[in-house]
Parts: sequence; C-alpha cells; structure tokens
Amino acid sequence: MAIYIYGIINSNEGIDRLVNGLEGSHVYNIPYHDIGAAVSNFHPDTKEFDERINRSHIFVHERVVEKLIERFTVLPARFFTIFYKKEDVLSVMKNLYGDFRRNLDRLHNKVEFGLKVIWPGEKIRKNIIDFHSQRYSLAVPMPDNPSLKNFIRERYVQYKLDREIEELADSFAGVIDDFFRGFAHEKKLEKLKTKNLLLSAYYLVDKESQDDLKKAFERLKKKLHGFMYLLSGPWPPYNFIIQTKKPHSVKNAGKINISSKIFQKRIFSDILD
Amino acid sequence: MDNVLLKSKDITLLEVLDRVLDKGVIISGDIIISLANVDLIYLGLKVLLSSVETMERLRGAAIISPMQEPN
Repeated sequence: MAIYIYGIINSNEGIDRLVNGLEGSHVYNIPYHDIGAAVSNFHPDTKEFDERINRSHIFVHERVVEKLIERFTVLPARFFTIFYKKEDVLSVMKNLYGDFRRNLDRLHNKVEFGLKVIWPGEKIRKNIIDFHSQRYSLAVPMPDNPSLKNFIRERYVQYKLDREIEELADSFAGVIDDFFRGFAHEKKLEKLKTKNLLLSAYYLVDKESQDDLKKAFERLKKKLHGFMYLLSGPWPPYNFIIQTKKPHSVKNAGKINISSKIFQKRIFSDILD
Repeated sequence: MDNVLLKSKDITLLEVLDRVLDKGVIISGDIIISLANVDLIYLGLKVLLSSVETMERLRGAAIISPMQEPN
C-alpha cells in the first residue's frame, strides 16, 4: 500500500467523506501539530500503474485539491507524490513544518488567477521589419568581404529587431499589469515565452477580491483591443508557494519509472495527433 | 462570455497540467515524473490558439492583431 498526498492543509481535523481521491480511494487527513496532509491510500503495483497512469488521474488530483480549498487553506502537492509509510509522511512534515506553516499563513484566504495574453508575433515581427529595418544602419567600419558584410548586417538587424519586440512587449505587459496590480498581493509575470505568448501572468488575490479582478479584466479587454486574452481561475495557489528548505529524500518514496516520452504521449495523445 | 472562458475543459487542460505537473509544494525529495522534455507551453499554446480561434469563429468575429484598428 502507498500513501498519495494531495496537499498540506491548515487543519489537523478529520476530512472524512469530503471527496474521493485517485481511483475512488478515500481521502483522509494525517495530522501533524496544527496542520495535516490530505492523503488517500493507494494500491499501486508500480509497474502496472506506470502503464495505466493517464490524464484522468491528473484531473482527479486537481479536483481533490479544489474541494479541499473550499474548506481549508491548501498547499497543493505536485502530482504523484507518494510515500509507502505513514511514518515517512510524518517525518517529512516534521522536517518541513516551518515552511508549510509560513506558506499556509501567507496564502490564507487567497486564490490564484492565471492570465495569458496572445499577440500575433509573426505579424508584429514582419511589421517592424517592413517599417523600421531601413533605420538599422551600422555606423562602424565594415569588412570588404561581401558575404561577411551581409552576415554582420543580418545579425545586427536581428539584434535590433529582437530589442524592438522586447521593448514593445515590456510596454504592453506594463499596461496590462496596471489593471491588476492594485489588488494583487503577489504576481509573477513571464513575457514572450513563445513568440505568440506575449504575457503569462499569475496573480494572487484575496478570495473576496475575485469579482474585482474579473471587473478589471473586463476593463482591460475594452481598453486594449487586438489581443487574445485568457483568464482562468480561481486556482489553488500553485504558483505562490515559497519553499526555503529542501525536502529530504525518503527511501522508496514516490519512485515511478515512467519516461517523459511515454507519459507525454499518453497525456497529450489527442493534442499531438 | 466572449473570447474568454473560465475553466472550460479545453483551455483548462493546459492550465491544469501546467500547475499539477510542474508547480505546487515539493514534499518528497525524489523526482517523481520528469517532464523535462515536454514542451508544455508549445503544446498548450496549440490548444489555446485553436480553442480561442474556435470561439472567435463561433462568435463570428475576426481575430484582429494589435497592429489593426479594432472594429
């Protein structure tokens, strides 16, 4: 038997009959001081489980965490965190108690929202080239060799183009962020992770401020046309957990031999085809 | 809702995978499932874009770029 962990909660009390876990298992609490680990017993023949793990297991994990967050502050655990002995779970909780407690206090009554802003990267690049490439003259002595000269020019234009796109992205990201910064306790902004993904942002807000965030989002859409926006949430605060202490390794904990490629194919099969 | 869908299945797939597989508290020191070779963003963006485009088509609205004047 194994113990599967869904998350750490700010309660040491029972959570029986709140929600079912992986493969219909019963979710319960393993208390440690004033906190607990929401877990379920799991009977993996590891080799067999390697072969049957799929997307539905991931959604069940998320569903359990979302159910827990209705009643508790939750630090969601990464998918497939398992231990084989209750003593090991308690040992880890003892080791990481300080981190858990600080995060639970900081994230109490807060939820996460995700915002993705998509722009037509290729079109923007082309427009910049069309309108501005002639400005990119290189005022330094150039070699006589024509191919070398072309090579240097191309690299220089590329450099200037990248700079222009980054500056444009910074500018738009700043404008977009202005709509939310007033009531977000914390945020994470990632720009241009791909050429089309202008901004991937995560905001941590009070549960009571969700409507304010949605209204700000509506104002953003009306004000800044021409982008595609995706707002998702409320989520448990996956992106805002700060761990200062590295968990120690527990013998045999959570070992599952599944390669990235096999997992990728199974989870993303319908998308990849 | 127009070009936004909260918790819609297709779009949420990426959002769930992004969080459950790659974020959250690390309790065990052991690597559980390595996703180092999975380009979630690339795959996700494919889902996102197709989902948004589908929604836009359903709305009958053209997708306009930041370089175009809005209708």
